[in-house]
Amino acid sequence: MQKSSSPVFENRALAAVWDFADERLGLSDMIAFAKKKQVPQHEHSFWYYWGGISLFFFLVQCFTGVLLLVYYRPGVEAYESVRQITYDIEFGWLVRSAHSWSANLMVVAIFVHMFSVFFMKAYRRPREFGWWSGLGLLGLAMVFGFSGYLLPMDELAYFATKVGLEIPMSIPVVGPFLGDLIRGGPDVGENTVQRFFALHVVILPALFVPLLMFHLWLVQRHGNAVPPGEEIKPAERRRSIPFFPNFLAKDLAMWLIALNVLAVLASLYPWELGPQADPLAPAPLGIHPEWYFMSQFQVLKVFGAWFPGIVGEALGILLFTAGGIVWALIPLYDPDSRNGQRARIATWLGFAALVGLIILTAWGYLAL
Amino acid sequence: MPEAMGHSEEVLEEGEDLLTRRAFVRVLAGVVGAGYAGAIGYPIYRYLATPATRASAMGAVTMVALPGAQELAPGSALMFRFGTRTSMLIRHADDTWVAFDAVCTHLGCTVQYEPDKERIYCACHGGVYDQHSGAAVAGPPPRGLTVYNVEVRDAEVIISRV
Amino acid sequence: MNYPVWDVPTIGSGWVIGLIAIFHVMISHFAIGGGLYLPFAEARAIKKGRKDWLEFLPKHAKFFLILTAVYGAVSGVGIWFAIGLAAPEATSTLIHNFVFGWAIEWVFFLIELTTAAVYYYTWNRIPQRLHLKVGWLYAGTSFLTLFIINGILSFMLTPGAAWLAVAGSGEESSRFFQAFFNPTFWPSLFLRTLVCLSLAGVWALVTASRIDGYEKPALKSEVIRFSALWLLPAFFLMPLCFVWYLMMVPESQRVLLQLGISTIGAGTFTQVTRAVLVTVMSSATIVGVVYFIAYRSPRDFRFGYACAILVLALMATASTEQAREMLRKPYVVGEHMYSNAVRKTPVRVGDESIPEVERFDRDGYLTHSIWATDREKQAWAAWDAQRARAAILQAAGDAPVLHPPVTPEILRRGELMFRGQCLACHTTDGYRPMRRYLHGRDRDSIGNLLAMLRASAPDSPYRAYMPPLVGTDREVESLAIWLDALVNGPSETATPQVAAVAAE
Repeated sequence: MQKSSSPVFENRALAAVWDFADERLGLSDMIAFAKKKQVPQHEHSFWYYWGGISLFFFLVQCFTGVLLLVYYRPGVEAYESVRQITYDIEFGWLVRSAHSWSANLMVVAIFVHMFSVFFMKAYRRPREFGWWSGLGLLGLAMVFGFSGYLLPMDELAYFATKVGLEIPMSIPVVGPFLGDLIRGGPDVGENTVQRFFALHVVILPALFVPLLMFHLWLVQRHGNAVPPGEEIKPAERRRSIPFFPNFLAKDLAMWLIALNVLAVLASLYPWELGPQADPLAPAPLGIHPEWYFMSQFQVLKVFGAWFPGIVGEALGILLFTAGGIVWALIPLYDPDSRNGQRARIATWLGFAALVGLIILTAWGYLAL
Repeated sequence: MPEAMGHSEEVLEEGEDLLTRRAFVRVLAGVVGAGYAGAIGYPIYRYLATPATRASAMGAVTMVALPGAQELAPGSALMFRFGTRTSMLIRHADDTWVAFDAVCTHLGCTVQYEPDKERIYCACHGGVYDQHSGAAVAGPPPRGLTVYNVEVRDAEVIISRV
Repeated sequence: MNYPVWDVPTIGSGWVIGLIAIFHVMISHFAIGGGLYLPFAEARAIKKGRKDWLEFLPKHAKFFLILTAVYGAVSGVGIWFAIGLAAPEATSTLIHNFVFGWAIEWVFFLIELTTAAVYYYTWNRIPQRLHLKVGWLYAGTSFLTLFIINGILSFMLTPGAAWLAVAGSGEESSRFFQAFFNPTFWPSLFLRTLVCLSLAGVWALVTASRIDGYEKPALKSEVIRFSALWLLPAFFLMPLCFVWYLMMVPESQRVLLQLGISTIGAGTFTQVTRAVLVTVMSSATIVGVVYFIAYRSPRDFRFGYACAILVLALMATASTEQAREMLRKPYVVGEHMYSNAVRKTPVRVGDESIPEVERFDRDGYLTHSIWATDREKQAWAAWDAQRARAAILQAAGDAPVLHPPVTPEILRRGELMFRGQCLACHTTDGYRPMRRYLHGRDRDSIGNLLAMLRASAPDSPYRAYMPPLVGTDREVESLAIWLDALVNGPSETATPQVAAVAAE
């Protein structure tokens, strides 16, 4: 371990700066701590990076989001300002495209992270709160996506928000009231944009960031979970690497890959801006919510067709809520599985959920 | 190509402490890092600088054509934009033409032509300018208004910098 | 234009080629780079007497054989199937020129496949020196397959002045060697060779990731570091070769790159420029990523990481290939044939030798089409005559300006124009969709746009990317009518049967 001078810098001036900061902030202690911290290595350890990849995309969202705020104007001028960003402001198309693509990639990464945590059984004692806070973050990310999708106020955003609001609207009794409250009126309009904007840039970040901190603190406190298959190995056959610098270097390499994927998508397939929303125009064909709401949307559609009226929609909502509760409570009824019977049931449940979501989503797209 | 095949001893995580390789990797990382900084920084700079760039492009205007302005009634003024600047074209009652930058040199209010009082007046703090030369004659303005060249043609009036 | 038209909905026929080609490039370049990697590594292992290496290499060879000889070969044939369907005229041009080249290619290809199989199956069964020779033979012949195909591929971007001088005369194959060793042949060959070396390293990392790093730490570290080094030549030489390549590309195509930077406003680089920039970025990044997750901690390098690196390599390959294809716009064979198969250079028909663009404008694009019936052609002629009379009356001021009648035959004519001249790059609703591009335009506005494409004036913004639209005035008008029906729905005069056609 480096004692007196900088572990990072050979240059004398930089080392002096380091010493100054170190004495006051205790940086070497943190590095020593990070070096001592171990990350398990096994055949599934690749999945450990997906939380970090999600975090990376969130950081990209914050960064590009602030850049968009420089020119975005909510309310009546929403469409015009996004039009300016896309066509007038230099590289505005790129910033917007990166924001939109990264939003989708973030939701993808969170889903991958969630399922890998599920299959590695990383929700078990004492990591229950990590699981719940993670689900909370996923939920918030989806609301982020939903509220952000409306902000350009183009045709697609307008109608997708309209049909997307059918999901909360179909909650029995309070649904219609809730719908009015979310829209800020009987129909989607500039009031909706204004409150979605407030939600998107103030309320959601204010909820998301503390929850994220809590989530990361839990990860730091309990360390990375190892799957049951690894736990039964004798201690001398288990492997691990130091968090610093080994794991961090790999993590950053994954971030670079993520950045490259984002760059290809954002620059070669720029996010498009449709024509301005016209509430009086007929809805274009095949209008649908974002892909991560597609399964819920499809369930509502199917149940609505099977059981006409309010019953069908209520059943659909009930099914999804029940599914969500079963999913969220998994740490409670599969608390300590060691490759035993219960663990296998949980694994099957996970597969069923994954396959179910994929089928419903694909069905939703095919049925457009 | 590779010399890595030579040794069979356990290779450490940190890699061999060959100074040359360290320096090499450091330079490479620097180059790639600079590339990224450029690839991300340049678009963002251009993105944020767009309004300023546009404005300076507008500011570079040296001539403005005002179609139809030759019809302006004697004893009245026409406000127009010269690049980014609010400006005024005046046709005096004696049929002389003159054009000024219409921003008061005191605190930047827009001035107005008052033909009845034969002056250019700034209502903010009572600055008064001469209606023919633009010179500051009364009140707080530190100096006169910028004067433009005026050329009256058959179908338009051409304003240009002096 | 007498070949069938391949209408692939949503993605368009071009992307069928693209999707096959991107994966094919990943594999086929590995077939060449890996062909060097295997005997090179084997020779070194023999020289140093390394048993563990000689145990590992057959595993890599097996993976190599399965991937390249099965998927690589099948996808290669798939490309030829796809281009034959998507761009039959261009494929025909290539075959007319390079039939001998393909014959050579097949010879090398057969030797390549044979030696690959022999190399793998005779491991430890024949003397080492002989086995090694088989390996080097494989490396040589597989490189020669690249050598040959590179001549044909680079020809499509830069056929060269010598070949263009005889293009369309029927004596094109007399300039075989000039066409083969065209201006971009050498830079392209160097670029591709560098890509081969990189991909040899990347794919070797995939196999190496399967070595148990705790049982054989020394072997795993060495193999991974050895493989990682194969990425370095490309990292340093690629930029130079790329500049060389661009220097050899004709000015008119290079403009496509500069256009984006200088004129098309608001910092919106063109697709080509963006693809090039992304390629540079991901190619540089791949070296950094390999260094951090493979070279620095080889023992823990596992299959998942190898896949992550493959994704990055795929991104780089995909954007390179896309940039290369886009750079060729608006031609499919540079300066000779536009992407919609209309020839720019004069073609001899009977006693006359004029560019096809002129001939189609004069005689009509669909006049000799075999995809229209005689009854339809008669209906078109009658419609044309009626339009001509109306035009005379309008010019004389005796009749108001009216839109021409929409009949099923005219819609059919417009659709044939679309299929012949637009479908090579556009779809109705998917990739580069007409319905969205023309959204909000009415009949007259569509007509104006087509007039601009047809004039293809030197200052037209479309000229750099799109071929001129060809055909008689009435044919272009028919295309406008069909597009109008597509975008704005069938007009009232159309019969129900027509509505069904237009709504397709």
